[in-house]
This record gives sequence, structure tokens and C-alpha cells, in this order.
Amino acid sequence: MSLKKFSDLFNDLDSINSTNNKIDVLKKYFLSNEPIDNSWAIYLLTGKSNKRFISGRYLKNLFSQIYEYPQWLIDSCYLKVGDSAEVITLLLKNKTNSRNKKLSNISLNELLSKIIPELSKLNEEKKNYEIKNIWETLPEDNHLIFNKILTGTFRVGVSIGLITKSISKLINIDEEIISHRLMGNFNPSIDSYKFLINRNINLEELNSKPFPFLLANTFEDKIFKVAINDFQFEWKYDGIRIQLIKRSGNVSLWTRGQELVNESFPELVEKMLCIKDEFVLDGELLVWNFKEQIALDFPFLQKRLNRKSPTSSIQIKYPIIFIAYDFLEINNRDIREVKLENRRIELEKYFSKWQNKAENNINTIFRISDLIYPKDWSDALSFKEKSRENNTEGLIIKNKRSPYTSGRKKGIWWKYKVDPMQLDAVLIYAKGGSGRRAGLYTDYSFALWKDQELIKFASAYSGLTNIEIKELDKWIRKNTIEKFGPVRSLKPEMVFEISFEKIQISKRHKSGIAVRFPRITKWRKDKQINDADSLENAYKLLKKIS
Amino acid sequence: MRTKEEDLIKYIDGNLYCEPADIWIDPSKPVKRALITHAHFDHFTFGCEEYFSTKETAIIIKERVGDNIKIKTFEYGEEFKINGINVSFHPSGHILGSSQIRFIFAEEKWLISGDFKLQKDETCKQYEIVKTDYLISECTFGLPIFKWDETNKIANDISKWITNSPEKTSLLFCYSLGKAQRLLNEISKTNFKGNIYSHSSIYKMNNCYKELGIDIKDTIKIENKKNIDELKGNLILLPPSLSKGSYLKNFKHIQTAFASGWMSIRALRKRSGYDKGFVISDHADWDGILELIKKSEAKNLFFHHGDSEALSKYLVEQESINVLFLGK
Repeated sequence: MSLKKFSDLFNDLDSINSTNNKIDVLKKYFLSNEPIDNSWAIYLLTGKSNKRFISGRYLKNLFSQIYEYPQWLIDSCYLKVGDSAEVITLLLKNKTNSRNKKLSNISLNELLSKIIPELSKLNEEKKNYEIKNIWETLPEDNHLIFNKILTGTFRVGVSIGLITKSISKLINIDEEIISHRLMGNFNPSIDSYKFLINRNINLEELNSKPFPFLLANTFEDKIFKVAINDFQFEWKYDGIRIQLIKRSGNVSLWTRGQELVNESFPELVEKMLCIKDEFVLDGELLVWNFKEQIALDFPFLQKRLNRKSPTSSIQIKYPIIFIAYDFLEINNRDIREVKLENRRIELEKYFSKWQNKAENNINTIFRISDLIYPKDWSDALSFKEKSRENNTEGLIIKNKRSPYTSGRKKGIWWKYKVDPMQLDAVLIYAKGGSGRRAGLYTDYSFALWKDQELIKFASAYSGLTNIEIKELDKWIRKNTIEKFGPVRSLKPEMVFEISFEKIQISKRHKSGIAVRFPRITKWRKDKQINDADSLENAYKLLKKIS
Repeated sequence: MRTKEEDLIKYIDGNLYCEPADIWIDPSKPVKRALITHAHFDHFTFGCEEYFSTKETAIIIKERVGDNIKIKTFEYGEEFKINGINVSFHPSGHILGSSQIRFIFAEEKWLISGDFKLQKDETCKQYEIVKTDYLISECTFGLPIFKWDETNKIANDISKWITNSPEKTSLLFCYSLGKAQRLLNEISKTNFKGNIYSHSSIYKMNNCYKELGIDIKDTIKIENKKNIDELKGNLILLPPSLSKGSYLKNFKHIQTAFASGWMSIRALRKRSGYDKGFVISDHADWDGILELIKKSEAKNLFFHHGDSEALSKYLVEQESINVLFLGK
């Protein structure tokens, strides 16, 4: 019965929007299943592996081959559905009428620990035969789960945080403890589940608990009225926020999303272990360009985040740095109530002590934030405008006399982000979306004028409301000039305001420029295509920065 | 006079038109004369001088728009002449009164499928096989990913959905005409024995069906002020137009679902904003469309209503059926 139960769980989680209800459903599931199946469920739901046994393309080809189904028809279906595993599941409804559902009682454990691993050992011919066999003997309700696991695309609207919350509620133990237990390699087994739900907490677990993060508010104009000396100014880096804990000889790196990321950044853990003191620091983790002393863009950081146990060549290729900007605990003394200016003094004092120990050599990976000292508010504004030059997002402004509180309390920290760059561009191509946006044209390409010609300069797919997406989709279908597979070229008629964060020279693009994080910020229905910006205007932006 | 090269039925501005009879089929704008396949508002436009439909369709239309309208009515299968062309209505199984329309002229048979389904539905006449030379078929769900489950399975799923959440009010969104009555009919056969409420637009259609002799479960008309506790654990049927906006604020502790064939696609389900989707349609699925086409024995085929690209290619390649485009 239990695979069926897992399919039901998937369907329930898929159709519930409320977090609390999802937690209830998960709790109920954990209570009514065997530890081993719960363990596998957690493994799948947290996306701990998502290993791909075969590709979506392989799955589609296989179906086409077995059931003599035209490949193009499967592709047409894919355009509507946007997920290979789901397309094949829907098509299988027509095909497997066999009454012999001998796999009706298979458990999640059997599927994941036996059937699928054995499948991947077979040669192609036998593997194909076996998949067909499973399709035909597995009850229809379970096809989607099977196909998704096979193609490594099992995903449902459940975060690791939600699993953490559910288990925390189930056994009445703090989320941070569960989060710690869920960290790292999770090998699905009876023991790993029992460890997760153990009501006894050991000391080490307690010691790794992070403090709640202090979050910044959006800048408000009224602060201009306050004396500038009341504030501490720093650059706002676009990395990940990390609470770095060193207690009892262990280091834990916590993200704001309650995730432990020690395994992605082993070199930082190792270096911090060299320091004798025990402490808790708040700061930003970045991939750093040491030559130019500047942060690299977020996508570089993602290459590190998505990878556990990075090889040394990855560590060299994407070198990281931790920039600490707050000090929460030192040698078991909680200093969060101390005023920021004094916490800063402590931070600088300890940092120079650590730095001066020659054997530590921590500089290559650990620093404290630079402070900025604007003379007045207009000076602060010009600092903010300069933030693009050092690849930051703007300023962080902190009240010098504030304690380190939890959450987004008013009047303590503000983020003052630099305005995005913007251009008005003409929509020229649209492509069908996938996943949630399947069946709609949601990936757009935009162009700028060069003489009398429209030159593509950016693609964007975010920024429109669902209603606008539907409206634009309708328009796209009516105003298509040509179709190339999933892409349509369109009558140049619609103008959009495109915002982006960075602009660079790029030889790869016909336009000669590349922009970072382009997104649609306005549908300029008030503008004609002649009102759109020229490529020259984009070059001007380029000059302005460099 | 019509020549052989010209199609009896043409496609003009997105509407079907029979020139020799000077009559439009389900026109989207007011014209002189219109044949109406069924009473859904995307097939019926107010303001034509004269309408032709089945008796049931006429009664439903009048219930919806009032008596101030001229409709000539016919029995299913009854042949009548318009400008010398033989025309007849045949059940299409879509909703009560819905029909396929057949034309016979110069020994050529033309059939317009109208919206149709092959699945059993006790609230309307079962679709009838009509042989033809030329077929103009709808293809709303013209991809093989659409394969409907038995209606009673869906009804049982709905029943479970309601009874599994006794603390909540279950709002099921569905089209007021046809789908709502079919659901009522099916849900009354399940284990769900709670109260069913319906929105006034649905309530009105329920009565209309009852007057036409269709046996459907009684519902309570939903008034604006209902005790929240009274609704708990019960079902409310609402038209989809009320799913967005302030209407839902009248309720507390709700779960929502939409009953539609489109709900078979996860992305559409997620995008729809409803908690849940139940896959039930009054249109034919892929197999249904193919079956109607084959049983009609049509040699020449046209599609409208829906994306016919894949379906046409499939028929040409796999079934060697000639798919054409209607003349303009």
C-alpha cells in the first residue's frame, strides 16, 4: 500500500496552498508509515538526491518505441504539459490496460532501494523491457511518482524548512535541532529516521543552534532627518547571508533559510577551526575576485552552493570569502544586547587579534566589512550610486546604538538599493514556457533600435502578472509572423520597460552587450515601437559605469 | 447556384456559414438567421432575427435571456428545409439539448459536430452516430494526453475531497449550465450525504433541467448571508467567474476546486489558483474525437474550436483521413 500512500501524499501536498495544512498532512504521513518509508519520503521531499536515472528525452523515446507512437506527437503534448515525466504518465493512461497489477502493494522502500537501483544496472535492452514491465504492472496512480523519480524530476511544493517544521512539531523539538539533524548526507534507513525523531538532544546539537537573524528594512526618506553620525554605513553585497558559529570546537555555517551549508564550503570551515576563540558572527559569503578585490556575481556563488564536497579545482576556480559585519557571541558571552558601535569595536579587536596570529593566515578567506563614512546624506547618495562599480547592490545603513534583535524590526537596519538600469524595448520573439508555465508563451526576447533595425538585446521571463501573461499570450498567438519549433517571431508592436542590474560588453551577442538579471518592470502600452530605446542608449549606460 | 468546388459550409470571420441556406451556425455576432447547437453563451449571441434549435436548447436560452426572442424548435432527428437544404439536429451528448447539425444538399452530407462528448451523462441525451461525407468537428481536447476517467470515479474523488475536510466548506467551481447539473447527478450517487448549495445562476439552471424532466438532486440556493458553521463540511457549487475577486470573502475556512478537462495538466492546475482540480469534461477526449470521426465515416474533415495541428497531422499520417481547411 505504501507507494500508493506516497502518491496520495504527493497529490495532497500538490493541492494544498497553506503551510500549516501541509505540515498536518506530513505529520499524518509520518505517523502512519514505517520508519524506512518515512526515511525515503524525507529523502525525496527534501530533494536530497534527485538523481537522474534516465533523461526525459530517453523516457519519451522509450515510450514512442514501445507503443509505436510518433515522436512528434509526444513533443506536441510536451509543449502543453512542460514535463516529460508527466507527459508520459498522461499518455500511459491510454496504454496500460493490463489487469495484472502485481506491483500494487509495492512499498516506497522497495521501489527506491531495489527496483530502481537494479534497473540502472541492466543493459539498455533489458532496462527498456523492465521499465515497460513496471509501467504495465504498477497501478496507474503511481506512474507519475515512478516516472519523476526515474527522470530525477521529483519536486513538490515542500521546502526542507517545511519538513523540518513538520518533524519539529511531530516530536516537539526546536526546528534548529531538526535542521541540524537533517544536514549533510541523509542515507535513507530506519536508523536515519529514528535519529531524526529522537526526543533526546545531545550537547553538540544544542551548540550548533544559530540565533534568529536581524533583517533590514527598505530605506525610508524620513531617515534623512536624522544626523548622519547616528549610523554605520556598509556596502550591500549580493551574496548569501551566513551566521558562522564556532562553539565546542565545531563550526556551523547557517543560511537565513535555516540550512547548514558546511559541506559546500569546507575550506571556510577548516580555516575557522584554526581560530582558538569561540564565537558567533553574522556576515555575507561571496565568491571573490582576489585580483581586483571585488565580489563576483551571484551565479558564481550558485556554482558553489549547489555543490557538496567541492573538489579543490572548484575551490580554486570559485574562491570564496566570508565578510563578517556583526558579532553576536564571544567565548560563550551573548553580546547581542550590546550597542552596535560597541559590537563593532569588539569585532575589530578580535579580528585583528586573529589576523595577527601568523599561523592562522585567515585573510584569504575571512574579513570584516569595510565601513563607509559619508559626510552627509547627499554624500551617502553618491556612495550609493557608486555601488555598481564595486559590484554591490547599494548600502546597508545601521543604527549605531541598536541591539541585535531578531526579525525585521523597524529602525535598526535599512537596505538602500541602487536603482536598476532601464530601457524600453520591443518584444520580438516569444517561446513556450515549461513547468508551471507550460502551454503559455512566457519567455520573451526584446530588441532595441539600431538605425532602422531591431536588434535583440535581452531575454526575460519574469515581471508580468498572471493576467498580463495570459493577455500577452493571446496577443502572441494572433501576431505571430513565423514559428520555429517552440519559438515564434512576432509583429514588432509591443513595448516593455526592461530593468537590469548590470551591463557589459559581450562579443557573443549581436547587440554587443549583455545585461544581468533582465526583467520586465512595465508593459508600456502607452508607447509605440518608435518610442523604444536605441542600442546607442544602452552603450551610453555602459560608458556611465566604466 | 453552388458549384462542386465550393464548400457547402464556409468559415467567415471565425464563424460557420451555410451560403445556400443563408444561415449561420452559432454565430458570435448578431445575424439574420442562426442555427444554435446548444445554449452556452460562447455559442449563442443575442440579437439575431431568428434562431433554429432543439426544443430543450430553446427553453434553456429563454430561461437565460428572456422570452423576447424568436426561436424555431425541432425534435432530434426531425428534418426541415431551409432554402431547399435538408437540416436536422442530432444529440451530441454535451449538455441538455445540445446537438450536432446535419445538412443534406445535392446528395452531399455535411455534419457539424457542435460540442460533443461520448461519455455517459444522465442529464442529457447520449451522442448519436451520424454518418456524413463532410465533418466539421470541434477539437478542444485534441491531444492524446487527454483521457477521461469514468465519471463515477471523479464523483467519488469529489465526495472524498469534501468528507475528508469536515471542518471546511468545499467550494466547487463549474460551469453553471451542464457541468453543474451533471456533477449534481453524479455526486448524489456517492457517499457524500451532506447539503449541497448552489449559486443562483446554477440554481436557475437546475430548475430548468428539472422542468425538462431531468432528475437531479435538490440544492439550497446560496444567499449572501449564511452561517459559517452551517456550511462546514458541505458543498457549494459556484460558477468560475466568482473564483477571483471579493466573493470568496463571504466564506471562511474554505477549500476550492475546479471541475474541468484542463485540470489534467499539472501546470494548468497550479496556475489556476484553485486548491484542487477534478478532471471532468463535457467535451470529448482524444479517443472520443477519433471515435466520432471514424464512426461518422466522413471522408473529408475540418476542425474548429481548438488547436488542431497535432490531431490533423495524426489523422493524415496514421489514419489516412483527409483533413482540409474550410473555404473562406
